[in-house]
Amino acid sequence: MAATTKISLTEEQLVKGLKAQDTAAIQALYEQYSGALMGVIIRIIPIEEIAEDLLQDTFLRIWNSTRHYDPSKGRLFTWMMNIARNIAIDKYRSKDFRNGGKNQTIENNVDLINETNEVIFNADTLGIKDMVTKLKPEFNQVLEMVYFKGYTHVEAAEELSIPLGTVKTRIRMAIMELRKHFN
Amino acid sequence: MEEAKAYIESGILELYVLGQLDAPEQQEVERMADLFPEIRSEIAAIELAMEKYALEKAVQPKPQLMNKILQQINAQEIIKEPEIQEAIITPLNTAPAPKSLRPLQFALAACLALLAMSIFALYTTHSRLSDANQQLIVMRQDREKFAATVNFMKNENKDLQQINQITTDPTWAKVKLAGTQISPKASLMVYWHKEGKHVMLDNASMALPENDKEHQYQLWAIVQGKPVDLGVFDADSRPKKLLLDMKAVSNVQAFAVTLEKRGGSPGPTMEKMVLISSI
Repeated sequence: MAATTKISLTEEQLVKGLKAQDTAAIQALYEQYSGALMGVIIRIIPIEEIAEDLLQDTFLRIWNSTRHYDPSKGRLFTWMMNIARNIAIDKYRSKDFRNGGKNQTIENNVDLINETNEVIFNADTLGIKDMVTKLKPEFNQVLEMVYFKGYTHVEAAEELSIPLGTVKTRIRMAIMELRKHFN
Repeated sequence: MEEAKAYIESGILELYVLGQLDAPEQQEVERMADLFPEIRSEIAAIELAMEKYALEKAVQPKPQLMNKILQQINAQEIIKEPEIQEAIITPLNTAPAPKSLRPLQFALAACLALLAMSIFALYTTHSRLSDANQQLIVMRQDREKFAATVNFMKNENKDLQQINQITTDPTWAKVKLAGTQISPKASLMVYWHKEGKHVMLDNASMALPENDKEHQYQLWAIVQGKPVDLGVFDADSRPKKLLLDMKAVSNVQAFAVTLEKRGGSPGPTMEKMVLISSI
């Protein structure tokens, strides 16, 4: 990966640059986080062209609503991730997308998305990284649905036919494992 | 710190980071994070893990997308520019309050100029109007003078015709009065209608010195040896009438004219007799 040539700024520098509407900051932000944000968008909207449009929308919204970001409330990435996820979910629920998507409802679409994603997330075609982190499948499934696929934890519970408490526990366990792994 | 520990273990912080909470729940988490530093650091740890996880699961978009986004941002900046200018102008608005009044000042000046012009125009019109009125008065006077002249000439013409008629009519006696010793050059023609007793003076043939304002000439008729008053008249170089009607009389033996005080006297002043005739 060509990651070494990228401009890498600290989160503090990025926030400062964004708030000053410095385009160098958005450039650095793009280089550091476009892949991660694209990751969530394309898992909800698995059509590359549309996903890239949505990624563009995401960066424009980040740029235009910087003043709403409060660093004391959380990390910049968490905020950006929520923007990207909301944009993708809005698109997924929008009429034009659903009409184009063969009138499928969100419920019976899940399997299709999963299948499609399997195809799209071919490492050779999209440059997706190898799954370094191996989670237990039942933890991974819930976290994937909520973090990457735009499900609410309530929807995930209904979809998987498991109690809401179990969904919460599995999410917590999955994240605990991730923390262990990254530390 | 049992409360904080239980809160952390409830799994709500994970849902918070995953954007799964509604606004009141989020505020609750933020309030707890403010209260308990270990909750804040727990949130930070979860965020960091999720960030790393997302980076690990990254899907790289096409490289050209970066330029597209930058172009859009720059285009947006151009559109935004007026807004920025506006923002710069706003604080200045306190000072140039007169700026907003400037159009009004212009309007006021224009109004005053218009008013001045109107007054001038009104004044000019007024003076022209009074000029015209003056001219009208003069013309009316002229017209009256002219009418008077016409009237005079009409009367004169009538009188002349009458004189002409008198000279050819035998019932009219044409009596010429000649000057006495005190005014040898004086003369006057009197027409007397014997039947109608009508007496007229012919101003046109009158030759008498002009009388002053205190005196008037008085015409007398001598009837049966006694003088009878026939009225007073003025000797005017520009008489108003050619023929002057006097009092009627009959059986006249002679006519005489004396100069008397204005208004006439009951009896003639013999030494002031200027004209005398005989029939």
